[in-house]
Amino acid sequence: MPDKSRVVLSLLLAALVAMSFTAPLANTQAAERKPLFVGAWPYQLPPRGHFNTFVTGALTWYIYHIMIQEPMALYFWANNSYYPWLATKWELTPDQQYFIVHLRKGVKWHNGDDFTAKDVACTFWALYLLNGPVWSMGFIDNVEIVDQYTVKFHIKHASPILYRYILREPIRPYSTYHKYCDLAKQLHDKGVPRTADEFKKAVAEFRNFRPKEYIGTGVLMWTGEITEAEVWLKKNPNHWKNALKFNWVKLINGETPQVTPHVLAKEVDYATHGFPPATEKQFIAEGIRIIRAPIYSGPCLYFNEKIWPLNDVRFRQAIAYAINRTENGYVSLLQSGKPLKYMSGMPDELAEIWLTKETLSKLNPYKYNPQKAAQLLEEIGLKKGSDGYWHYKNGSIVQFELSFPAEYADWSAAGENLAEQLNKFGIKIIPRAITFTQHPHEVWKGNFQLAIRHWGSGSNPHPYFHYRAVFIYWNKGSEGPGIAFPLVQETKCCGKVNITDLLLKSAEGFDEEKQKPYVNKLALIYNELLPGIQLWHRYGNNPALDGVRVTGWPPDSDPIYKNSIYGDNFVVYMLMTGYALRPTPQNMPAGQQPSQPSQPSKPSQPSTPSQPSKPTTPSKPSQPAGPNYALWGTVAVIIIIIIAAAWYLAKRGKKSE
Amino acid sequence: MSDTRAFLYKVYKNWFFRRSVRTLAIIYVAITLTFFIIRLMPGNPIEVFIANMMAATGMSYEDAKQLALAMFSINLDEPLWKQYLDYLYNLVQGNFGRSIAISPGTPVMQIIMEFLPWTLFSVSISLLVSFVLGVVFGIIAAYRRGGWFDRIMSAFAATVSAIPNYLIGILIIVFLGVQWKLWPIEYMRGAYSASVKPGFTLEFITDVFKHLLAPFITYVFSTFGGWMLSMKANTISTLGEDYVTVAKAKGLPESRITIYYVGKNAILPLFTSLAISLGFIFGGSVLIESIFVYRGVGSLLWASITSRDYTVMQGVFLIITISVVLANLFADMLYGLIDPRVKTLGGGE
Repeated sequence: MPDKSRVVLSLLLAALVAMSFTAPLANTQAAERKPLFVGAWPYQLPPRGHFNTFVTGALTWYIYHIMIQEPMALYFWANNSYYPWLATKWELTPDQQYFIVHLRKGVKWHNGDDFTAKDVACTFWALYLLNGPVWSMGFIDNVEIVDQYTVKFHIKHASPILYRYILREPIRPYSTYHKYCDLAKQLHDKGVPRTADEFKKAVAEFRNFRPKEYIGTGVLMWTGEITEAEVWLKKNPNHWKNALKFNWVKLINGETPQVTPHVLAKEVDYATHGFPPATEKQFIAEGIRIIRAPIYSGPCLYFNEKIWPLNDVRFRQAIAYAINRTENGYVSLLQSGKPLKYMSGMPDELAEIWLTKETLSKLNPYKYNPQKAAQLLEEIGLKKGSDGYWHYKNGSIVQFELSFPAEYADWSAAGENLAEQLNKFGIKIIPRAITFTQHPHEVWKGNFQLAIRHWGSGSNPHPYFHYRAVFIYWNKGSEGPGIAFPLVQETKCCGKVNITDLLLKSAEGFDEEKQKPYVNKLALIYNELLPGIQLWHRYGNNPALDGVRVTGWPPDSDPIYKNSIYGDNFVVYMLMTGYALRPTPQNMPAGQQPSQPSQPSKPSQPSTPSQPSKPTTPSKPSQPAGPNYALWGTVAVIIIIIIAAAWYLAKRGKKSE
Repeated sequence: MSDTRAFLYKVYKNWFFRRSVRTLAIIYVAITLTFFIIRLMPGNPIEVFIANMMAATGMSYEDAKQLALAMFSINLDEPLWKQYLDYLYNLVQGNFGRSIAISPGTPVMQIIMEFLPWTLFSVSISLLVSFVLGVVFGIIAAYRRGGWFDRIMSAFAATVSAIPNYLIGILIIVFLGVQWKLWPIEYMRGAYSASVKPGFTLEFITDVFKHLLAPFITYVFSTFGGWMLSMKANTISTLGEDYVTVAKAKGLPESRITIYYVGKNAILPLFTSLAISLGFIFGGSVLIESIFVYRGVGSLLWASITSRDYTVMQGVFLIITISVVLANLFADMLYGLIDPRVKTLGGGE
């Protein structure tokens, strides 16, 4: 065969192989899985990811965990109420010694076993082994099975926080964890201390326990279909409520950079990642709706109170006045970085529930006021020089290092902007990004001057947790002095205060009305002393894709969006309860009609019925399955080019011979 | 006795023996440096674990620390020299240790073996294709010096070589996947689809190759330029050698001159680079694997670094060190066989 023909033939063959490689484009098996909901959450593959959902590294997908292993109740932030789920009701005994939970009958585990009180008790005994907060914070000291469907918890320390720790805990099966929960109960009954070798050995064994099966009572079931890119979960057909309207849920693995292209390609229906402002703008341009729900937390500027003048309240107040927090929030996260109205140490949403009108009116909002800031700095003896910087009495420039976690894009942006603003104001700030795993330790050890760490709590609605974050979490601990903020102080608002006592009293007993005075006092103290400056409240910028696979997104005013994104995710709740969200017609299996949008089966407690959703921006329907003409055209052009090149080369070769 | 001495002297002077001893010494030094440098990094797995537990569960620092000490079978408070000796002792016995952070308790070798085959598969195919393409295109460009092929391909090779591989990967995702939708995003993520059952089936194999395409293109694009430009330069230099002129004068066929006289000599210097690259196959490509969420040693290494999993980091670095050093040894030996001058100059037998 002549050389030229051989070349052309082999190239044609290669082109044919390439063409067969590209067709069919879509994964046919996956394309048949309808109705499908696609979310995103980072996870680790086995063996790194595992099924021991009590310990870190488990394949829980965090907000989606309760769709597999359900809690006894769901919590709605809008009206501070619990909605019965695996429990039908709960009560305190009149003497407030016991918290009794009555369980739902007829619930089955994914393997067909009955769900009973044994499973609930087992879950809490396993938590005992790990010293979970419900035990370590001293809320309970025993769990007893009353009958097959009743469990009672012995209360050691009464607090409304107890409700959340018990009712919102995902319940795991006794069949999987029986060895360890039985062991935990034995250790408890024998009074073995946690420091004993026997106890430590049990803990170590339990943490290394890797169950072979992954079952729950939830609306979703484990399929075993997992790769580093995605995981598939399927609907539990025997679920007691059977409200999930999607037969499949696919979760895309990865952090923001990995998930972004999927969102842009409209392959994700909902994601909770923190997207940078430029990406968010691109989403909006593509017609993807952005849901801005509160996270009840955000970045806070902390001061090392071992350093003068950072330990002078006037200096901290001056800094609060010198920062334009609206600008800081906007450059960091656009509309999702919202400045706070009250600077109460809590998110505004909770402040308005827990604080009296009188307290709210007393709170200094620290509106941007550089003149006021300058006045306060002069009061403490600093002077502004002709170079534009503030100087100490000895003439040296007032200069600090500001550290923040490097990998948190929004916090890094906040740190850079903060440095820029304060430099402009005359306080020299050197920004320093530290890797996110190391940064908290630097703060705890006191190896910082100014640092950005979190305020608030996205996982617990009680004010106790919000004040604990500032006064306790980042303060003195075993690792070091932390922010070194004194917890006994003289204040203008409230005289001499013991913050530790106030904090404990703010969560004591079951009567929230009795806790409110302490919470109000803490808010006033926080506002005056400013142990940290709440830079802004981080709202989510969650992309929600309407009209491709999912529709029915409620309008922004729906109270369901008051739920914390990471604490009680509203999309997860909507999927579980069957409220609002439903598949689009093109997301239904062939021959099936989508469910009617008329009456969403919404849980009765949380909010008034909302209007059927109105998509804010009409989005294009997904591409129907069919030939991809652009691809085939490109392939054809490539083939023509290859043939032409081969022909030319062969011709040139012959000539030269 | 003198025979034994003579034998020992012969062994000592043996080129392969000396290279092997030097290789072992390099591996030992690399292991030692890795051990200490890892521990110089700020933070340790216990601190990372404590921070995670406090953030995730609201535990106090003391409780989280108690938990960490109970959980991790490593005592970082032990003197460093003791930790080092323990590590060497276990290593000599083939024990890489157990993961202390990313999958506590799992043997490091088991974790590495989960990821290594995928890295070997993806990077070796890409490297070989890139090398072959670079060599072929380099020879063609050298032969057609100044022609359109040379001009276009040389410019292209210089351009793609200058673009970092992660940028090429991102561009592929953005343009081929998101903008033009020429290749589904789902095939640009992972090593295979979760919905396809792994097995020796056509469906699975096709799926694996579809997932390989994007990282493959990225890798080939980012490396083939280097091979091509080197090969072109070597070929041009060889074309001017007297033996090539003589061969032409003798009227030997052009194809024979190209392959046996020019190609064989021009490719020789590329072997060392190829051998080193082959060694680095075992390390995967951290950036490409993380951009395409591709299963591999590179992504494992990144995960172990962020969680400060000392044992896994040591294991991965050890594998990379051994493979690179052995690849170099192999290259030296191969080079010695191909070009006997190397052995003589190196003070060989």
